[in-house]
Amino acid sequence: MLKGKRALKGPARLAVPLTTFLAALALLLGIPAAGAFAADGVEGETFAIGTDTTFAPFEFRQDGELVGIDMDLLNAIAEEEGFNVDIQSLGFDAALQSLQSNQVDGVIAGMSITDERKKVFDFSDPYFESGIQMAVAENNDDVASYEDLRGKRVAVKTGTEGQTFAESIKDQYGFDVVAFAQSAQMYDDVKAGGSVAVFDDYPVLAYGVASGNGLKTVTEKEAGSSYGFAVNKGTNAELLAAFNEGLAELKDSGQYDEILDTYLEAGAADSSFWSLITDNAPAFAKGMGWTLLATALSLFFALILGVFFGFLKVGSSRILRGIATIYVSIFRGTPVLVQAFFFYFGLPQIIGQPVDVLTAGVLTLSLNAGAYMTEIVRGGIQSVDPGQMEAARSLGLGYGKTMQKVIIPQAIKIMTPSFINQFVITLKDTSLLAVIGFAELTYQGQQIYAVNFRTAEVLIIVAALYFIVITLLTKLADVLDKRFNK
Amino acid sequence: MSKIETIGLRKSYGSNEVLKGLDVSVAEGEVVCVIGPSGSGKSTFLRCLNKLEDITGGTVKVDGFDLTDPKVNLNEVRQHIGMVFQHFNLFPHMSVLDNIMLAPVQLKKAPKAEVRKTALALLDRVGLSDKADARPAQLSGGQKQRVAIARALAMQPDIMLFDEATSALDPEMVGEVLQVIRDLAREGMTMVVVTHEMGFAREVADRVIFMADGHIVEENTPDLLFGSPQAPRLQDFLAKVL
Repeated sequence: MLKGKRALKGPARLAVPLTTFLAALALLLGIPAAGAFAADGVEGETFAIGTDTTFAPFEFRQDGELVGIDMDLLNAIAEEEGFNVDIQSLGFDAALQSLQSNQVDGVIAGMSITDERKKVFDFSDPYFESGIQMAVAENNDDVASYEDLRGKRVAVKTGTEGQTFAESIKDQYGFDVVAFAQSAQMYDDVKAGGSVAVFDDYPVLAYGVASGNGLKTVTEKEAGSSYGFAVNKGTNAELLAAFNEGLAELKDSGQYDEILDTYLEAGAADSSFWSLITDNAPAFAKGMGWTLLATALSLFFALILGVFFGFLKVGSSRILRGIATIYVSIFRGTPVLVQAFFFYFGLPQIIGQPVDVLTAGVLTLSLNAGAYMTEIVRGGIQSVDPGQMEAARSLGLGYGKTMQKVIIPQAIKIMTPSFINQFVITLKDTSLLAVIGFAELTYQGQQIYAVNFRTAEVLIIVAALYFIVITLLTKLADVLDKRFNK
Repeated sequence: MSKIETIGLRKSYGSNEVLKGLDVSVAEGEVVCVIGPSGSGKSTFLRCLNKLEDITGGTVKVDGFDLTDPKVNLNEVRQHIGMVFQHFNLFPHMSVLDNIMLAPVQLKKAPKAEVRKTALALLDRVGLSDKADARPAQLSGGQKQRVAIARALAMQPDIMLFDEATSALDPEMVGEVLQVIRDLAREGMTMVVVTHEMGFAREVADRVIFMADGHIVEENTPDLLFGSPQAPRLQDFLAKVL
């Protein structure tokens, strides 16, 4: 999708002087300039915009669709200015990293405009005036002011204004700060008693309380900073200009206030466990689809890698054995999560090409599982009785024929249970790809509970889905194993 | 000309020398039995004759081919040397018939039907025609070893090597396997037989070699070797096993 956009860019650039000329002409002739005309160079273009996974009410999923103040504003502005957006729901940190590595063109994620961030990004005019508020668990009557926090722990979300504010007063009031990557985790920590209070943006808290997240706000809103739309420093100036112009239009037309009211006045309808499943069935199904696709692709490539390097490991060449050993050591000796970050965030910087999240995920799991497969293949071949090789060679069969007709068929039988085991591990490992914004099952679950705050129930559903699918596929594999490996 | 000839054959595993310079010659149609205590190197010696072991020093000539010459096609030479192992080494994932047919099907250009006919004839010869479709796991030890002999004969070799072919068998099954080997000896097959069966060696061998500590200590006709052993090591050995 990114590639398509880049391909468009060339001709679109050429069009800039022409539209500028037309705009100037329109001005000269006294024709009122249409909105689409004024901030030129963006019309008809598609921009990749990174955003948080869930930062209600700014962005969150409702019936599988990404909605929220940011999304509605962005879509309204895009419509106003005649450009298209390709929203990539990556998570806050990941969105910023993607912007820095030019994986996306802009980021809108309820992000405060700070001096620190201005060094690396260019910001739009503020589109939302935020402020920090403190909230505690609904049933907590002991903490009502900052003074009550002494010696206690406070939850914040990494990189937010809430964190900055909490850090700035923690010494004065004598409390500890713990940072979480996602809002729902932060709220759950407060509800579970790990932290006594949370500092978060007032619209977020207001929305959460209205949705029944089990918290209540206890302080007045601190005067806070403003939210802005960001592009990488020195790039996408036209996009930034178009955003500013569109925003002004929306404020003038009153559409801006409408959008804000939609979310800040929103109340959540309570629902049963069953309707939690049925309402979110499309999201779960989509997540499971991605999970299975990533698993299937990864195992396919892992098998090829495993067979290739496994044969190198049992071969006679010391150099090739060494290469296989290095491969296995690297991918067994580093965490999958680090590998996933590397292929998604690091690799694009090395090759100067964006890597989409499915590719990065499959690359990670293929290479990781491939290392384990290599050992399975090596172990399988080596556990075949050496007498088999001797018997076949003594008959005059060559090494290759012996492998093919005698050793491999027996090795496969030995390897099958390990293969099934690796298959289950890889399927479960796909859940780690949620951190790079891959829309698999765990990610879908996070999206859902971040909005409805029903963490326990959603995670039970997600776990049950994994369990059912893994059990069914393991049974199927066992049946196939029994049929073919008698 | 000798069918098999080793000159100064040496074999070491690291610093441990197992064969310390063996000169052995086997004539066509001759049956040579090799006896000796465990660890004397007799199995290693046998395994050097088709180069299942890398040869450390000296030469091994089979049918005039020098096995230590890297230019010699080992697979070609091995097709003429059948080998039977102590632990049978049948291919467990194949039927008895497929075990026997594997090498001829893969290596000879003969039509499959013909190979099958030959394989069935070999099975009949070792008295197992009714086991053609059985899996090795369904056979007794004696039956397995007879299948292994049939498999080794399938390439129509002119030399057979037996590496303690009856050592892993229950006593009541030893006889059936020895009978097959005895028949082969009678048909004039060139054979080198490593064995612990002294009575059998005495009966079928044209010549018996006694090995100890990687050396050939004594070799002679069975009557003389067993009847009037010269070397004290051999006298000692025979006193223990007979």
